Amino acid sequence: MDPATLIPTPDTIPAPWWFFEGLLLLTFFAHLLFMNAMLGTALIGLVREMRAQPGDPPPCRDIATTLPYTIAFAVNFGVAPLLFLQVLYGHFIYTSSILMGVYWLSIIGLLILAYYSAYLYKMATGLPPAVRKRTLGTSLVLLLTIAFLFVNNITLMQTPHVWPVYFNRPDGTFLNLADPTLLSRYLHFVVASVATGGLFLAILAFFRQKKGDPGAAKRLTAGMQWFTYATVVQIGTGIPFLFSMPENVHTLFVGGALPHTVFFLASLITTFFCLYYGYKEKVWPATFAMAATIFLMVLVRDLARQAYLAKYFHPSDLEVIPQMSPLFLFLVILVIGVAVVLYMLRLAARVPEEVR
Amino acid sequence: MNYPVWQLDFSGGGLLIALIAILHVYISHFAIGGGLFLVLTEMKGYRENSQPILDYTRKHTKFFLLLTLVLGAITGVGIWFTIALIAPAATSILIHNFVFGWAIEWVFFLAEIVSILIYYQTFGRMERKSHLILGWLYFIFAWLSLFAINGIIGVMLTPGEWLNTGNFWDGIFNPTFWPALFFRTFLCLMLAGLYGFLTSTAIKEQELRHTMVRYCATWLLAPFILFLASAWWYAQSLPEGPKNWVLNIDPTLAPYLSFFMWGSPVLFLGGLLMVIRLPQTAKRALAVFLLLLGIAYMGSFEYIREGSRRPYTIYGHIYANSILAKDLDAVSQKGVLASAKWTSREITDDNRLAVGRQIYNIFCGSCHSIGGPIRDIKKLSAKYTSVYVMEGEISGQGKLIGCMPPFPGTLAERNALATFLVEGLQGKKQPEAAAQLSASPLEPLPFDPETSEYVLLAWNSLGMHCMTDADSYFSFLPPANDLHAQLIKRGPTPEVVTDGVTLTYRVEAGFEKPADKVDFWKHISSLYGASKPDNVGLSGNTLAGAMIPNPDSKAFVADKVPVVPYPAAGGYMPYPSFTIEARDKATNALLASTRMVGPVSTEMGCKNCHGGGWSREVAGISKGAAEDFLTVHDRFNKTTLLASAKDGKPLLCQSCHPDPVLNAAGNPKLLNLPAAIHGWHANFLTGRGAEACALCHPNSPTGNTLCLRGVHNDIGLDCTNCHGTLEDHALSLLLAEKKAGKAGADRLMKHLKPRMASGIDAIKPRTPWLNEPDCLTCHVNFSPPETVNAFNVWTKDGTALYRNRHDDSGSIHCAACHGSPHAIYPATNPYEKERDNFGPRQYQGNPYPLGANRNCKVCHTVDMDMDMHHPNSLGMMRNTRE
Repeated sequence: MDPATLIPTPDTIPAPWWFFEGLLLLTFFAHLLFMNAMLGTALIGLVREMRAQPGDPPPCRDIATTLPYTIAFAVNFGVAPLLFLQVLYGHFIYTSSILMGVYWLSIIGLLILAYYSAYLYKMATGLPPAVRKRTLGTSLVLLLTIAFLFVNNITLMQTPHVWPVYFNRPDGTFLNLADPTLLSRYLHFVVASVATGGLFLAILAFFRQKKGDPGAAKRLTAGMQWFTYATVVQIGTGIPFLFSMPENVHTLFVGGALPHTVFFLASLITTFFCLYYGYKEKVWPATFAMAATIFLMVLVRDLARQAYLAKYFHPSDLEVIPQMSPLFLFLVILVIGVAVVLYMLRLAARVPEEVR
Repeated sequence: MNYPVWQLDFSGGGLLIALIAILHVYISHFAIGGGLFLVLTEMKGYRENSQPILDYTRKHTKFFLLLTLVLGAITGVGIWFTIALIAPAATSILIHNFVFGWAIEWVFFLAEIVSILIYYQTFGRMERKSHLILGWLYFIFAWLSLFAINGIIGVMLTPGEWLNTGNFWDGIFNPTFWPALFFRTFLCLMLAGLYGFLTSTAIKEQELRHTMVRYCATWLLAPFILFLASAWWYAQSLPEGPKNWVLNIDPTLAPYLSFFMWGSPVLFLGGLLMVIRLPQTAKRALAVFLLLLGIAYMGSFEYIREGSRRPYTIYGHIYANSILAKDLDAVSQKGVLASAKWTSREITDDNRLAVGRQIYNIFCGSCHSIGGPIRDIKKLSAKYTSVYVMEGEISGQGKLIGCMPPFPGTLAERNALATFLVEGLQGKKQPEAAAQLSASPLEPLPFDPETSEYVLLAWNSLGMHCMTDADSYFSFLPPANDLHAQLIKRGPTPEVVTDGVTLTYRVEAGFEKPADKVDFWKHISSLYGASKPDNVGLSGNTLAGAMIPNPDSKAFVADKVPVVPYPAAGGYMPYPSFTIEARDKATNALLASTRMVGPVSTEMGCKNCHGGGWSREVAGISKGAAEDFLTVHDRFNKTTLLASAKDGKPLLCQSCHPDPVLNAAGNPKLLNLPAAIHGWHANFLTGRGAEACALCHPNSPTGNTLCLRGVHNDIGLDCTNCHGTLEDHALSLLLAEKKAGKAGADRLMKHLKPRMASGIDAIKPRTPWLNEPDCLTCHVNFSPPETVNAFNVWTKDGTALYRNRHDDSGSIHCAACHGSPHAIYPATNPYEKERDNFGPRQYQGNPYPLGANRNCKVCHTVDMDMDMHHPNSLGMMRNTRE
């Protein structure tokens, strides 16, 4: 059966496709930063907890306090790209979601549990290590599961040739386990989180160091080490990821097409700078290098998706029936909103430190 | 159509969205009202210089944050996940049209999250004015996010101008936008108080606890009147369709409406109770109870709001089954298999059940579950006894009741769906084989063509009298058979005798005590307003007695003889025989005797669609069928028939519905009973043949009556040849009612299309029982027929009916020689072949009409050469069988 006949007909869009594409990439980039920080710090935190000796002070005050925040912003910044994804690729993502409906919907329950577990972990700072490990561990396992389900859906949405499995399995219990990219993709995202998580902890330590916290220097080094080593491993997960993609997709990035190869090569260069500054423990240069890497990878990922779907669809195929006034209002409100958020952050920054 | 359907059985019908959405709105509205609560309570703490109040506010903020940021926010995402899974087409429409509404709402969410996190973290440490600004900012952004989403929720119910313009602003600022915004805002404030009870009743210090609990009570109580006023405004702003639906028609929404009405004073009283001093444990318990009541209360509102949208997801734009309103006709033509992407392409014998399941998933699954709590299709379809009647129910949907869309598939698809429901889900097998019926031949009676002086001809008025054997529930036809007879003195000029003779009738043994078998006499007063001893019919006649002469019609009549088809020995016999005797009045000498059948059937097939089986194995309306039918009637007509019956006061249908058959005036504004009953059911049985008639009337080929048994049936005609197909039949009745100005006719006629006339205007309106098919429409000038379609030409009134007419001489009833209607000689009785032909067999030794094959000697004693009785009466039988 020709999978093209199964692809639902998309609806029209109220503004040019590249506008939504731009918003999708920007908001997804922000989501990745927070999501990586969230997942990475949870993982690093559990390792720290496992390594801690009895009698040690709680090892993860920095993680415990920030984990609920990174979750909050990972979710909030996840909602935005999900919105724009539905606008451009709704006919793909809805279909793949339905095929794995039971698992997809279970994410809501898993996320609620993971989120509350993170708050429990935050409140468990004074409690025995076993309790701390259990709460953080629960949160981590749930988040890792959610990540797996997300990766599953994203691979399924771009491989319509798998969709006929629905006819044997219409009850939403299909997982795209036979996809050749699934495992390496999953590992690539998880390891990326570890790298970002380490860097995030180093940034936190940087600010605490400025305030004179004695343990901060060690934590900065530890964070940068996590960052650097994870980045090395990341190259190891990235290569199989790239080459497990179909030939017509991965060859684009190694010489097959100009923009694809340029972005990919650029990301390799910025990765090199990540390693360099990571090794040198230069927090801010490393941060810029990492942000650039992630952003370039977002572009690469998007181009890969377009290549996967090239024979079926490209967002420029969508019919535009322009209605610009809601768009303008959104932009105005966005500017005002960001301004208010910055104002609120400034108010917060002025508040004296809480005495612990 | 476009998307695959997530096949949910137990959780189908909208259960998932109901659970996630109700949980989310209950928390999210609190997230808004509670935001104002926080900043105002903080201000109260500053104003009264009360650290305890500030401490309470801080604790409440922690509770607030943990609840709204996690459970509240994630269930909000959960709604998104769920709607895309169970209604992807409608979700896609909303997303693509209102993406910037959601994008704007997202900005508000971002500001909310940042503000509440900072507000909590810096509580007591940030300088007061700035902290309050944060609190106010939180509330403003929270309320603005309600403003944004309120537009999108509203457009689904009342799209207003958006349906025509597709304009974003028309959609957001739709007809219910403002009333809903006010309604929800007041609800937010009330919920702030309701949730506040939970934390304020936990305060340890007694005085502070009382103060803060009362403070929370103010939040709950103060907005109540305005809340109810905006609820009224909201209801009034609904356009006619949804408003009428919610407030008047939909019986399934009524309990939720009731709960909302009753919940309001209970909630209010609960709030008042919180004001008075009670022990802490009592108040804590009350706080929890009110919180739980609150979610049920809000849930009932949301359920009503969603339910009022039926059968659409976006009103007037897209149905719940994902078909765009504008595409409905096209899909009905092409069929769903040709229009949808994720189905098989064709139906074969092997895949019929599987395709039926696919069709079920697309058309039914969005509103029905299988075995689950929401409109369980297994329960709802259990009463339908066969694929045929299930198809009837499917074809009727959406025509008379607006909560479902019309079935938009081909006939083959309808069959596949019905097969899935009846055979797949219910496991019912196909219908029974024909019954084995038999009876002993009637004892012959003497006639000597040489010496006998009289010929006594007897017949039944209708050929089949049905009676409703459901008297404890309702009745529309009592046991009331009409026996007719004419006594003819033989000779060259025979004479029809009415003077100087007495005619008597007597039912065969075993049928004399109908009161032992049916409940009619127990309820005769409630049903018919009459009082009669057992076994005495409405006319005063019993199962044996005298026939009354009518000099005008020259016949004897025993009317309303209360014979029932249940012999004393048990079983079912719809053709009991009567012996008629003519005696000289003076001498009492027996002049002539004959036998006739007094046909009576209780095989009214209500159970075929209403379930419940038969009450007496092969006939009789059972308790199950009667209760279902009365329940449905009560639901859709707001009557209380079932309650009345259960109270021991069953009603006669004609107490409301006029009907010539009982001379009932009823309520003159209502449709007459035949128009109502055929008009209603025709909507479910369009496109059918005579087998549709047999669903109700006792003519099912697998039944125990087979009432259409005369010569016309033998040669292959059926009900529809004379009476028209069901929709034609119904239209002829409804048109007359419409002409009489009755309001109910249009709704029943709307979806009926004539099949045996060129258009509705070509159908001639008629009064039931009086304007009926005329034999001469086919038998022009009493000749062999050129056509076999007698529909749409009616007798001018009751006197012109076959059963009331006479021959050209004006003396002999047509039926005297030709037999009862529906059993025209030569008839074939399903129990014993010649049972209906007793008269012809007795007097001429064959089953044909009296005098057939030029046997005028039967009455005239000599041959005749003039066709005096009617033209062509000297013709030879065409349809012979021996």
